[in-house]
Amino acid sequence: MALVQQIQLQQGEPGARGRARRVTGSPALRMVGRRLLAVIPVLIGVSFLTFAIMSTLPNNTAQAILGLSASPAAVAQLNHSLGLDRPFWVQYWSWLINVLHGNFGTAVQGQSVNHELAIYVPTTLALLVYALVVSLALAIIVATLAARRPNGIADRINLTVSMLGLSTAPYAFAFLLIIIFAVKLGWFPVLSGPVTGPASFFRNLTLPAASIGFGLFAIYSRLLRADLVEQMQREDYIVTAKAKGVAPWRVLIRHALRNSLFNLITVIALNLGGLVGAVAIIETVFQVQGIGNDLITGISNHDLPLIQGITLVFALVTVAGNLLADILYAVLDPRIRYGSSTS
Amino acid sequence: MAAPLPDVTLLGALPPLPSLVNARRLRAQRLGRALRLWVPAGILILMLAMCFVLPLVASLPSPTKGDIIVNNEPPFSPGHWLGTDMQGVDIFSKLVYGGQVAFEIGAAVTAIGIAIGGTLGIIAGYFGGSVDAVISRVLDILIAFPALVLALVIAQGLGGSEIHVIWALSVFGIPAVGRVTRGATLTIRGLPFMVAAKLSGTRGWRIIARHVVPNIIPTIVTFSLLGVGIVIILEGALDFLGYGIPPPTASWGNMISNGQQILSAQPEYVLIPSIALLVTVASLNMLGDALRERWSTQ
Repeated sequence: MALVQQIQLQQGEPGARGRARRVTGSPALRMVGRRLLAVIPVLIGVSFLTFAIMSTLPNNTAQAILGLSASPAAVAQLNHSLGLDRPFWVQYWSWLINVLHGNFGTAVQGQSVNHELAIYVPTTLALLVYALVVSLALAIIVATLAARRPNGIADRINLTVSMLGLSTAPYAFAFLLIIIFAVKLGWFPVLSGPVTGPASFFRNLTLPAASIGFGLFAIYSRLLRADLVEQMQREDYIVTAKAKGVAPWRVLIRHALRNSLFNLITVIALNLGGLVGAVAIIETVFQVQGIGNDLITGISNHDLPLIQGITLVFALVTVAGNLLADILYAVLDPRIRYGSSTS
Repeated sequence: MAAPLPDVTLLGALPPLPSLVNARRLRAQRLGRALRLWVPAGILILMLAMCFVLPLVASLPSPTKGDIIVNNEPPFSPGHWLGTDMQGVDIFSKLVYGGQVAFEIGAAVTAIGIAIGGTLGIIAGYFGGSVDAVISRVLDILIAFPALVLALVIAQGLGGSEIHVIWALSVFGIPAVGRVTRGATLTIRGLPFMVAAKLSGTRGWRIIARHVVPNIIPTIVTFSLLGVGIVIILEGALDFLGYGIPPPTASWGNMISNGQQILSAQPEYVLIPSIALLVTVASLNMLGDALRERWSTQ
């Protein structure tokens, strides 16, 4: 609702004349512009926080590179040449300037962070999208079936399964999947290899995606089911549609589901940050060649440039999700698209 | 807004025509409602008793030292009813002591979340304006931050110990509780009794203590129960990744992590702690659901 008010406020500007003014005055575009601007402080905040925390923790990067037997003088020299002896705001500033030039720096092992990201980001994104799309599609189907008859058999099964999904640790579920589908049945490999094409995508990422997706499915189907049931019982337009003689299925799908999807979109977008954590754990379990797995390695090496780069990508995914939710809102809801023309 | 009488909420959930109220169905609904509350509560009480009382009254084998001669005993073997692991350590007593760690961390992280996040959320929601803007932005950044990364970095930097895991996981708890509390405070802020309190000249802190806090407690309690479950899962994740409780100490995450090495030969090493985790978290979630259902005013 705050969004509607925000857009209505922007509409207050009088005298939008000319084509250029019309384009820049378009409420949807202006909203996107505003939201894009709001992303910047969050990204800066996230990267600054990472830097600040990393610099307050005992720094053993040079020690990690040189080994435990290295002399203190050698460690101090390497720290100096890596620039790690400078105050942290100086380090942060030079990192920020480099990132604005598209350079994420060099990781402790000597490889360029840009290169690492280029290799690992696509795999992680593929895994994330795979898990998200499948769990969302299943959740929509199952929740609609369940909401058709609250407390019916489909609803009860759905509630039980989603409670299980909500309460299962993703890594524990991953091991269950490995025991059944990799060890006993041999359908999928225990450890995921590199993804090269559609066939290896399904072979390597299905079990990891299922491990992540079970919990997501549980959250989505519970929310959607609760929202659908509530709408079917209370909303006036549902009563109107029913009174007009619209078929029950059509009421559920065309009227209730369309509205319920809004709330779901918000939840999905807001949960992307937490999802990224689950991805990191699951990538470690299956040894998927993605940034989550890379990040865990980076943390154990105290590899600041690598951690910074990956954290920024994760934060970007989160804020991009929030932004996408706002845009989808505008696309799906004419009231927001046309700003103050209603109410 | 004290907890309403069960009958009142029950009527609210029923079809509006009184003639449709069927006495038998009503009784069945009331029974179902009671079961949904007391079954998970009972399981939780049992689990807590098993983890905290049982070691005091019965002499369990050591959860860290085992006899290598009796290693890899299957479940239901004499003296070790869940069997022993690779080092011959009794799995049941690992489960019990690991459960202590899980519950302690879950409770501590949630308490820290409520103390810090709850306070921030009430302040932001009650005072609004620029105070709200500042607090909300900080919470936004903390939420946009991949909290697991932060938790791992903190745990790695500080070194593994129970107290460090608690601090690291509080990174999740504080912003989450903060946002929920702020939302709950906002919804009651404009209600008549709040306006009445303000108009009659009650001081700000007194309104918060006497009117805001009692009204948002149900929301915080139900959210905390879910939160404890999430924290227990995350604690296991930290252990599993090697940044949690250092290995000789028993914890469910360590048990899963150790069992992973011989997953194909002895899947029960992973399955037993996983089931304990599932039962605990599911009970917490179901109890949270039941309480929310009971407290929700229509």
